[in-house]
Amino acid sequence: MNKKLVVKDRERCIGCYSCMYACSRAWHNIIGIEKAAMRVKNYPGIEGAFSVRVCQGCLDPECAQVCPTSALKVSKRGYGVELDKEKCTHCMKCVRACSASALQWDEETKLPLPCLHCGICVMYCPTNVLQMSEVRINVQNA
Amino acid sequence: MYRMLEINLKTGETKVIDISELFSKFIGGTGVLTYLAIKELTKELDPLSPQAPIYFGIGPFNSYFPSASKTIAIFKSPLTGDLGESHAGGRLSMAMFAAGFHVIKITGKAEKPVYLSIDNEQVNLIPCRSLWGRSALSVERILREKEDSRKGKKSILRIGPAGERLSPISSVTVDASRHFGRLGLGAVFGSKNLKAIVISGNRYAPITNKKEYQAFYNELFKDLAFSENTYKYRDLGTSVNVIPLSKIHSLPTRNFSQGFFESAERISGEFFAENFLAQQISCSHCPIGCIHVATLRELFADPHMYKTIKVSYDHELIYSIGSNLSISRADEILKLLQFIERQGWDAISIGVVLAWATEAFQKGIIGLSHTENLALSFGDSQTYLSALEHIASGTNEFYRDLERGVYYCAKKYGGEEFAMHFNRNEAPGYMTGPNAFVGYAVGVRHSHLDCAGYSVDQKFLGRQQDIEKEVRMMYEESLWRMVTNSLVTCLFARGTYTPNVVEKGLKLLGYDVDLQWLSKASRLIHGMKYVLKERLGFDFSNLNLPGKLTKVYTGRGMMTTEDFKERIEIYERLISQDKQIAKEQIA
Repeated sequence: MNKKLVVKDRERCIGCYSCMYACSRAWHNIIGIEKAAMRVKNYPGIEGAFSVRVCQGCLDPECAQVCPTSALKVSKRGYGVELDKEKCTHCMKCVRACSASALQWDEETKLPLPCLHCGICVMYCPTNVLQMSEVRINVQNA
Repeated sequence: MYRMLEINLKTGETKVIDISELFSKFIGGTGVLTYLAIKELTKELDPLSPQAPIYFGIGPFNSYFPSASKTIAIFKSPLTGDLGESHAGGRLSMAMFAAGFHVIKITGKAEKPVYLSIDNEQVNLIPCRSLWGRSALSVERILREKEDSRKGKKSILRIGPAGERLSPISSVTVDASRHFGRLGLGAVFGSKNLKAIVISGNRYAPITNKKEYQAFYNELFKDLAFSENTYKYRDLGTSVNVIPLSKIHSLPTRNFSQGFFESAERISGEFFAENFLAQQISCSHCPIGCIHVATLRELFADPHMYKTIKVSYDHELIYSIGSNLSISRADEILKLLQFIERQGWDAISIGVVLAWATEAFQKGIIGLSHTENLALSFGDSQTYLSALEHIASGTNEFYRDLERGVYYCAKKYGGEEFAMHFNRNEAPGYMTGPNAFVGYAVGVRHSHLDCAGYSVDQKFLGRQQDIEKEVRMMYEESLWRMVTNSLVTCLFARGTYTPNVVEKGLKLLGYDVDLQWLSKASRLIHGMKYVLKERLGFDFSNLNLPGKLTKVYTGRGMMTTEDFKERIEIYERLISQDKQIAKEQIA
């Protein structure tokens, strides 16, 4: 069964970034958060409410559609995207095309950071903001 | 590699130095900073002069392990003239790590107000005359938006108007609601024309021993996020202590007149949670989530015009602005706290000052001519708000003096007996008994967090006293905290970061250490602090118990000056060997 990462309960987020640390650790083997494929955004002041941006796992992804070299294309899973680094021209069109502002960008390598929907971030969320949810393939505009 | 970034605010010059060797000797954080400070802080140095340095430091555990989320600041305190040391959470430790610096040293004075921008190695001094005078809260809003294009997560430090006025009880606010609160770092910023610091970066460290590291991390994370060790900090937070402390006569009430507060239930952690808690939030990379944010909805115009304020609260604030001023309404406490946040005072210190002023007024030491006709009364929050407004506007000499701290005020106007300070630092919120007060007096930063005397007192409630043993417990606690404050882990994670865990973690990071080495390092760091403190004028024999405290009932009953002095002598004896170790090592 195919599952994708979703934000179940944003308001529970305490802004600890454990999810971003987990993602960077698992997929880039590094200590840090700036290579995470998702992002918890904070606002000025004692806002308290964080915005949690995760890849929408689209069936027809906007990011892949604008990629001039097909470096970014629909993943073999059938939803979300995968990246062929060799083909990427670092134009950043993909990041700008994602209307959910969810696709992250690696400033260092100038490559997009597609989410693999592995669920590692879910395991490290202390307040259950995130969850893996079944992908419904046969839905219009999913 | 561990690097230090040096910045001169006058010339704008910067320097990057490899300080890895210091980390191998002094672990990091408070250990490394104390070593650096010992070379520069002298008795003659004016803490508000351009050459007075500010050090920020993190340790080897920051970013690597969860709840290693604190940053240490060291400076010469304008409040005490002694060692200034303050700790803060927020996003700062993560941002320093991401910028690639474990220590930042700031000296010099900018000609005009500036904010300091650090983005990896890019350091800029940005003129900000129009930010001068703005509240600590609005500066963050403005700078977070202005610097939004930066990729890395930003941490924003800034002072409010209190720091600009060089108030020695002013703080530096970090991100939403964390503070370098105590001992007057805000004034040091102000004296340098430094309004704010914005820091970010995208540096990272590679993981070399993935399997081992991940397994260790998982153990820590599980314990911190889900175990009993941290549950109380997340649930009600430190304000869980309000009712229990009042029940044992240990919640300072009406300027330490008694430890029982008749309205404790109405300002308790339970009451705040049920009526005002919006949510818990956390510092970066800490799954505990101990920061309690309250919302207060207020009707400001009929019939239905509302505003909502958000402000964070915890035990210390509920004591200093609540019970110690006899304010029994949680909403009134929140309103006062918001004003204090805007101005950027240390909330403990300003509360203690108001409590002293009230008692001084009631005893006729000061009069209506001083207070601009305000009748300062315990419990009257409206008048306290007016008094704070007078301090903020510097209405007259008396109000300008109030923000110089309670020691200064009592020296000038009288009422020293009920000026609640220890070594000139305003007292924290526990009157559990002798160890709490001795701890404030002897502690390296005169905080309840140095040696946890309040906790030792509670362990001995209803038991035969054992002075030697009690003081030794405080000493041992203080020693171990030299290690955790060098790592730099949060004190709320101390149940997780036991000596064995710390040893394992340091080994994973390539430190060649064992428990014996850690014990030696803690004594060396402890010793360095007291060597430095004594050089700056600290003297155990000058430590005093405010006279009033011998006449009030504490958690452990009545106290005597003799008992206080005896405990201090024991503490002094215990640390003398640490000083010796330090003198030999740094000679």
